[in-house]
Amino acid sequence: MARYGMVIDLKRCIGCNACTLACKQENGTPEGIHFARVVTREVGTYPATKRTFLPVLCNHCSDAPCAEACPTGATYIRPDGIVLVDKEKCIGCRACNVACPYMNRHYVAKGLLKHGYGTDGLSPYEAIKFMDFEEGTNIKCTLCAPRVDQGLEPACVVTCPTDARIFGDVEDPNGKLQGLIKDRKGWTLSPEYNTKPNVFYLDE
Amino acid sequence: MRSSAGSEGEKVTTPSVGIANHRFAYGYYRQTFWNWLIGTAFFLGGLGAGLFVLGLLTDHTAGMLAGYLIVVVGKNTAHMLFLGRPERFWRAAMRPDRSWIARGIWAMGLFAASGLILLLPRVFGPAWQLSGWLNGAATAVAVLSAIIIMFYDGFVMNSSPGVAFWRTHLLPLLLLMYATLGGTTLSVTIHELRGEPTPGFLPNLEHWLLLVNFVLLAVYLARMNRSLPAARETLHQLLSGPYARVFFGLVLLVGLFATLLLLIVENHVQATWLVVLIAVCELTGDFTLVMVLLKSGLFPLQTAPAYGAGGI
Repeated sequence: MARYGMVIDLKRCIGCNACTLACKQENGTPEGIHFARVVTREVGTYPATKRTFLPVLCNHCSDAPCAEACPTGATYIRPDGIVLVDKEKCIGCRACNVACPYMNRHYVAKGLLKHGYGTDGLSPYEAIKFMDFEEGTNIKCTLCAPRVDQGLEPACVVTCPTDARIFGDVEDPNGKLQGLIKDRKGWTLSPEYNTKPNVFYLDE
Repeated sequence: MRSSAGSEGEKVTTPSVGIANHRFAYGYYRQTFWNWLIGTAFFLGGLGAGLFVLGLLTDHTAGMLAGYLIVVVGKNTAHMLFLGRPERFWRAAMRPDRSWIARGIWAMGLFAASGLILLLPRVFGPAWQLSGWLNGAATAVAVLSAIIIMFYDGFVMNSSPGVAFWRTHLLPLLLLMYATLGGTTLSVTIHELRGEPTPGFLPNLEHWLLLVNFVLLAVYLARMNRSLPAARETLHQLLSGPYARVFFGLVLLVGLFATLLLLIVENHVQATWLVVLIAVCELTGDFTLVMVLLKSGLFPLQTAPAYGAGGI
């Protein structure tokens, strides 16, 4: 069985946030909730300054602390490594929110699904997409599981204009991800938390 | 300011990392998921369970009843108000083998049942008294479950790796000792308000617990100073950031030092209002400690070995 994950090449990322938008469009998340986002940092002192970009999403950790913390078993890890939430089981205790060191869990507050972006009501698109969510429960990046199940790649991957994101089986020794991770010394975020993330970064 | 190698190898000066004000910004993120309702639930759970145990120890029905109601009504109400889907609360009891939240729910359920068995004959008369061994079993279950309620919140926090400031086994111990202190203080106050003689060991216990809690708190903070960067930053925020006034003013000054001072005064000037004032001070410190522990917590920077401690 494959273990799905992603490699993000920071040398290629231009911080355009196309992944953020593609994720928004694919998942139709409520206002203020972004499964994918690009953390931007300005470094240096004028005039020697620059911006660095770090695209982040759920790391679909092999030892996912959110799944461990969930008292109901609503958060679970599929055999292919994708970490998902069963909204019918979620009680909205937010234990997963404080368990995830990457802040990639999102709570759908009460009233959040009653309005769209900048409007009191919902657009036809939001009215359909919001049916996937339930107020008072937690949601997260699904690694576009419905797309993956159809043999497609996640929306953020196909949208990236610089091909900075590579999706695939991280455990396949002959796969492209393993090759990239080994050749370019791939690393994961906050390794000291021992969550075994399956999203790797390249900067060499 | 610090210097570090950038991604292209050039030297750049990096500003100190602050608190991020939105999720696309770089920095430490504040823990905002667990709010005052959870803080209230943790506080009431410890206080009520501590009061119940001390009531049982001193054979004090009013204390037991007050402690029972604080846990069963107060703590549970706060929890239910906090939950996003309270109608599914029972699902949280499904994984006691892995989750401290589930263990806590079991403890509260057992406490509610066994506490009721103990309280019924005391409140409504001996007709409600169960046979000897059943009563003994209920007493054992009530004490055990109450003690679990006093400290399990610490394990709930401690098993949340996202907030490094909570990642120490000192936290359950600290909350247990604060729960005992709160229970002792409230027990003394109830005795005083009802005009009953206070058992001699309670004021002495209160003195000692104030000192022990101060030492435990100091050890906890010292431990965090040697922990992960996010825990150190939280400590920095707690001691010199926006929560410093609340921490020093209410937790230390009011909750520990003023309480101790008033206890010493109360040894010489015995007055009901003084006992009530001691309780107000101590419980204010107790509640504020839980709240600052919750609210000051920070999530870690998105760091990687290649970029050093400064992050991306």
